[in-house]
Amino acid sequence: MPQAIARRAVAALGLLTAAVALQLAATAPATAAAKCIKGDRKAPYTVGWANIYSVPTWMKQTSGTIEDVVEQLKAKGLVDSYVVTDAEGNANTQIAQIQSMIDADVDAIVVIAGSSTALNRVIEQACEKGIAVANVDSLVTTDQLTVKINTDSNKWGAQAAEFLIGAMGGKGKIIIMNGPAGISVSEDRRAGATPVLAAHPEIEILTETNTPYNAAPAQEAMTSLLFQYPEIDGILSLGGALTAGAILAMDRQGRPMVPMTGENYRQFLELWKEKGLTAWATMQPNWLGGFGVYAAVQALEGRDIPAFVEVPLPIIDNSNLDEYLARAADFPADGYIYSPYSLEMFDDLLAGK
Amino acid sequence: MSGLELQLRLLWRRNAGLWSLFTLLAALLVVYAWLHPGLLSIAGVARFTQTWFPVALVALAQTLIMLAGGIDLSIGAMVSLGCVLAATLVGETATAAGLGIAAVVAIGATIGATTGAIVALLRLPAIIVTLAGSFLIAGAALLVMPRPGGSMPDWLSDALAGDRPTALAMLILLLIAWRVLQATPLGHAINAAGDNPQGAFRSGVDVPLARIATYALSGALASFAGVYVAAQTGAGDPVIGMPLTLDSITAAVLGGVGFLGGQGTLRGAIAGSLLLVILINVMFFLGFPPVAQYVAKGLIIVAAMAVRLLRAG
Repeated sequence: MPQAIARRAVAALGLLTAAVALQLAATAPATAAAKCIKGDRKAPYTVGWANIYSVPTWMKQTSGTIEDVVEQLKAKGLVDSYVVTDAEGNANTQIAQIQSMIDADVDAIVVIAGSSTALNRVIEQACEKGIAVANVDSLVTTDQLTVKINTDSNKWGAQAAEFLIGAMGGKGKIIIMNGPAGISVSEDRRAGATPVLAAHPEIEILTETNTPYNAAPAQEAMTSLLFQYPEIDGILSLGGALTAGAILAMDRQGRPMVPMTGENYRQFLELWKEKGLTAWATMQPNWLGGFGVYAAVQALEGRDIPAFVEVPLPIIDNSNLDEYLARAADFPADGYIYSPYSLEMFDDLLAGK
Repeated sequence: MSGLELQLRLLWRRNAGLWSLFTLLAALLVVYAWLHPGLLSIAGVARFTQTWFPVALVALAQTLIMLAGGIDLSIGAMVSLGCVLAATLVGETATAAGLGIAAVVAIGATIGATTGAIVALLRLPAIIVTLAGSFLIAGAALLVMPRPGGSMPDWLSDALAGDRPTALAMLILLLIAWRVLQATPLGHAINAAGDNPQGAFRSGVDVPLARIATYALSGALASFAGVYVAAQTGAGDPVIGMPLTLDSITAAVLGGVGFLGGQGTLRGAIAGSLLLVILINVMFFLGFPPVAQYVAKGLIIVAAMAVRLLRAG
C-alpha cells in the first residue's frame, strides 16, 4: 500500500514537471527576438534597399531578386512599400541615403556595404530605432544589426583548388586567375586556396593574374601568358567572368582545353558545354539580396533569427551543368545563372538546415 | 540714397549670378523640410549637416586653389589619407585626440605646401602635378591601412557627428575665418594671384608664396575632412575619399568659381556643395527610382549653370 502511494506521488510529480516544462516551452519563443527588433512595428512593412552601385549586371540581377521577394511578400500582406537608393559606388552617399531611410522611418533595410567600416555608425543608429537591418554580400564590421548573410569566400577558394587538383590527378602546372588586388572577396578566395595548394607539392603554380572580374581583361592577360607558357595543365580561376576570358584566349591560339574552375557566369557555362570541358563552378548567389529582405521581414514578425547566416556554396559540375543551361534564356547574356530559390528554402536556411 | 539701400544694392551686386542658385536651394530646402518635418529639429539639422560637411570642406579646399588659378585632383586622396591617419593617430583622451587631429591637419598642410611649391616654383601644370600627387597620396593611404579598420574614440564621434549641430557651427566658423583672412595681405594676394598674376607681381605681391599658401590651406582642409569622415564613421577607410575630388570641382563650378582663377566666392562653393547633397535627400523623399535620380541630378545641375550663364551673358 505505501508503495502504491509512493508510486502515485512520483507519477503526479512527473506530470507536474511535464506541465511546467510545457509551459516554459510555450512561453520561450515570445521572449526571444532578433537583434534590433523592439516589437513595435506591425505588418505591412516598408522595405528599403540601400544599393551601393546599380549599374553592373550582377547588381541588376541582385536587385531583381529583391524586387521578386518584395512582390511575394506583398502578396502575403507583409510588405506594402519598397524604396531603393543607388550610392553610385560612393560610401559617403550610401551613408546619406541610409540616414534618409532612417528619417523616413522604413521598417527594414537591406544593404550591400560600399565600405566595411564607413556604414557602422549609421547602421547602429538604424538598429537603435528598431529598424531590421539585413547586411548581405559585402559585410560591415559592426554587430549592431539584425542579420548578416553571406557565403564563405575561403571555402570558395579551397573547394575550387580541391576540384582542380583532383581533376589533374594531383600534379601539373597551373595558372591562378584572381579578381582585383586589395578587394576582400578576391583576397579571401585566394587565401582559401593557399593551404590546399601547399598540401600538394607536385602542383606547380606558373603565375597569377589580377584583373577586374570581367572577361575582356582576363582574356588579354591570358593571351600574353599563353605565349610565355607552352605547357599548362590546369586553370584555377577564382571568380566572375575570368574563366570565359581564359577559354576564349586558349581557343584563339588553338590550345588544348584543360581542367578549370570558375563562377556561374552564363558565357562560361555555355563555353563549358560547347567545348566539353572538365570543369567546376560555384557562385555568390544573387538571391542573397532577396534572402536579406525575407530574413528582415521574418525578424520584424517576431521570429528569432541567427545573427549570421552562412549560405552554403551551390556547386555546378558536369553532372548538373545541363540543369543550369536549361534556364539560361531567363538570364542576361552577360549575367550569372544563379541556383533556384524559394521562400521555403530561405526558411530552411534561417532554421540552420 | 539711404545707407540701408546702399548696403542692399552692394549685397545684390556682390552676389549677382548666385541668386538663381540660392533661390533653387531655398526651394529645395522647403521641399525637403515639407517631405521630412524631422529636419526642423536640432538633431535633424545636425544629421543633415553631417552628410553635407565633408563635401563642403572639399569644396572650400578646391575653391581656394581655383581662386588662385590652380586646380587640385588630389583632394579626394587627401581625404582618404586624413581618414586613415586619424583612425590610427587619434587617442582616447582629450589631449591625445587634440594632438592626433593637429598632427593629421599638419601632415595635410605639409603635403599641400609641397604640392604648391612644385606647382609655383617649378612652374609645372597644376593638373599634372596634382594628378601624380593623387596616386602618391592614395598609395600612402593604402600603406597606412591596407583595408578598412582602426577606430575613433566614441566621445569624439558623438561630439563631432552626434545629435548636436557641431558640423554647422564649424562651417560658420570657417566662413568667418575666411572673411578675416580676406582682410589680410595674404587674402588679397590669393585673389590677386589668380585674377591677374602679372599685375599682382608688379604690385609687389609674392605670387608663388600666395599659391603655396592656397595649396597648404587646401591640404589642411582636405585632411580635416578626412578626420571628420573618420569621426562620422567611427573608423578609417583608405579609399573613402576618392569620389570627393569630382564632388569638390562640381560644387565649386556650380557655385560660380571659374577655371581661370580669380572668379568666384567661397559662399558660392558652399552653396554648390549644399546643392549636391540636398539633391540626394530630396530625390529619396520624392521616391525617385535610381535611374530617374541620375537624369534629374544631371538636369538640375545643367539648369543651375545655364540660368547663371544666361544672366551673366
